Amino acid sequence: MTAVSPDTRGTDERGTLLRLYREIARGRALEDVVHRLVQERSFRGFFHPGRGQEGLQAGVCAALDSDDYLLYAHRGLTYLTAKGMDPVEVLGDFHGRVVGSTRGLGAGTVHCVDPERGVMGQGGTLGSSFTLSAGLALASKALGESKVACAFFGDGASARGTFLEAGVTAKAWGLPVVWVCENNGWAVSARVQDVQGTNDIAPRAEALGFHTQVVDGQDALAVHEAALEAVAQARSGVPAFIEAKTERIDGHYTGDMQPYRDRDEVAVAKARDPLDLAGGRLVALGEDPAALAQIRAEAEAEMAAADAAARQSPFPDGSRIHEGLWA
Amino acid sequence: MTETKPITYAWAINHAIDEEMERDPAVFLMGQDVGRMGGVFGLTRGLFDKYGAERVRDVSIVEHLVVGGAVGAAMGGLRPIAEVQFADFLLLAGDESFHKMAKWRYMHGGRLSVPMVVRAPCGIQGGVGAEHSQSPEGHYWHTPGVKIAVPSNPADAKGLLKSAIRDDNPVIYFENRRLYRNKGVVSPDPDLLVPFGRGTVARPGSDVTVVAWSAMVPAALEAAEVLEREEISVEIIDPRTLVPFDMETVAASVRKTSRLLVLHEASLTAGPGAEIAARAADELFELLDAPVKRLAGADIPIPQNMALEPFCFPQTDEIVSAVRDLAKW
Repeated sequence: MTAVSPDTRGTDERGTLLRLYREIARGRALEDVVHRLVQERSFRGFFHPGRGQEGLQAGVCAALDSDDYLLYAHRGLTYLTAKGMDPVEVLGDFHGRVVGSTRGLGAGTVHCVDPERGVMGQGGTLGSSFTLSAGLALASKALGESKVACAFFGDGASARGTFLEAGVTAKAWGLPVVWVCENNGWAVSARVQDVQGTNDIAPRAEALGFHTQVVDGQDALAVHEAALEAVAQARSGVPAFIEAKTERIDGHYTGDMQPYRDRDEVAVAKARDPLDLAGGRLVALGEDPAALAQIRAEAEAEMAAADAAARQSPFPDGSRIHEGLWA
Repeated sequence: MTETKPITYAWAINHAIDEEMERDPAVFLMGQDVGRMGGVFGLTRGLFDKYGAERVRDVSIVEHLVVGGAVGAAMGGLRPIAEVQFADFLLLAGDESFHKMAKWRYMHGGRLSVPMVVRAPCGIQGGVGAEHSQSPEGHYWHTPGVKIAVPSNPADAKGLLKSAIRDDNPVIYFENRRLYRNKGVVSPDPDLLVPFGRGTVARPGSDVTVVAWSAMVPAALEAAEVLEREEISVEIIDPRTLVPFDMETVAASVRKTSRLLVLHEASLTAGPGAEIAARAADELFELLDAPVKRLAGADIPIPQNMALEPFCFPQTDEIVSAVRDLAKW
């Protein structure tokens, strides 16, 4: 395992961080729209907010090429916009409109898809992305492509047996997978330490022979640099693993009041907000706070416009349920 | 293309894989012992030497990976043939088969394709017990999104597997281990496919229709020989695939016979025969002169004692007796 040191950062720290700041702001603005949809009951499903985890999602996705495969996790939306998905399609899924990426089947983040940008979906049963990413990586390798298959998952899903099955095979076959564990310390209401006997997930990937890094998930730039290294390793045939130690600021779902959680701990998590941390670093590097406010305002305007556009789209009619089962 | 030498069901499967791998470099095979060993039942012999370790991939005991990895590989542009050593083991990959393989395309708006085949050796034979003997086609018939092939003879074994490999949808291919050594004439034509959703008349007759697939077809043919001596004429319909299911061929037969027996090896209760019987009751009621009957496996886990195996699934004398009862109506 290697800990990523700030000293290894590239020379254009400010430029890279600005790019990440913008993606974090876009992801946050998109999620803020979804929170409003939940509050006004325009969206009645469950949404699992990614507040606190946007920095690592942006940091990794910025290290992927547009045709690299992405299997995102259920917590948050920053992966999707950072990988290039149109927010109108994402919000279309929340609204259940035909403009949604699932063309009207969707309601929520769970099954957003964009094959042209490598966004290959998400399963409702967690831990399935280990085997799927191994298969996608095998296809890339067998077809002589250079795509990596990046799969995100939480600390909870890392306990699934699929982790071991796909992990040993990825190692044996030298598959270009990049597995990113978003370790926020909580599997719904259970502490990782209480249910897995450890807070550290990376040692099990290291034991499988993955190239393994542990990184502060609130430091978007550190995650980005770790991801660049992980992607390079994967492209050379070494499966790569990143454990991003992160913070879940909100509940498991929007509306979860987190009665199982200590208020002080939530306050600590809030103090490590990745958008604020990236902004603080940028200001220290000489960025004008007004320019950052401008980026946030643009992100909010973009997502408000996307929401309005998604609402313009029609609902599917009932016959939609019979379309798309068979190729 | 004129060769008519009979080959076994097992070898027909081998030829289908070989021809499709030769035709399409995206086709590959993975499973336990499929490579250097040539398969625990010898079905993949020669393929490792011909195509190499990149296209004939041995794996550890990783059913989740075999099925889930095939789903991913299929989405990424390959055409995987995933072998689970026994059909029972497919149930280990429950999430990957019931959820990922069957649903991934639909859940994602129909915008992804999962062209893959799972080869699942099924059937009661050899004292391998409750977890190595099942025929779980009914489990998957109840799962929208997968096609199901159930070949009963070498020619269909080859033609259906080739169709399955070329299909853009996920297919589970149930190959019955009791049939592996059965021989039949198989066309060497590499472009001869057996289409899905088209049943066949395995034996023409006029008094009673028997719907049977997989290893129940040879058993029904034997029973029909016995019944012919009693002047009871049996028509055997082999649907060859359950998804899609060819109800038209069943209906055409019942139109002649007015009597229907559904026969299968899987256990009776809530089994695949219940679906066919229900459809017959719905769609063919006016054609029938007798209640639709089912004859199927016993509602028990399969015991390991080989001497007890014949009591677990329909035997020829039981089929004879069931048809005889139906013919009295």
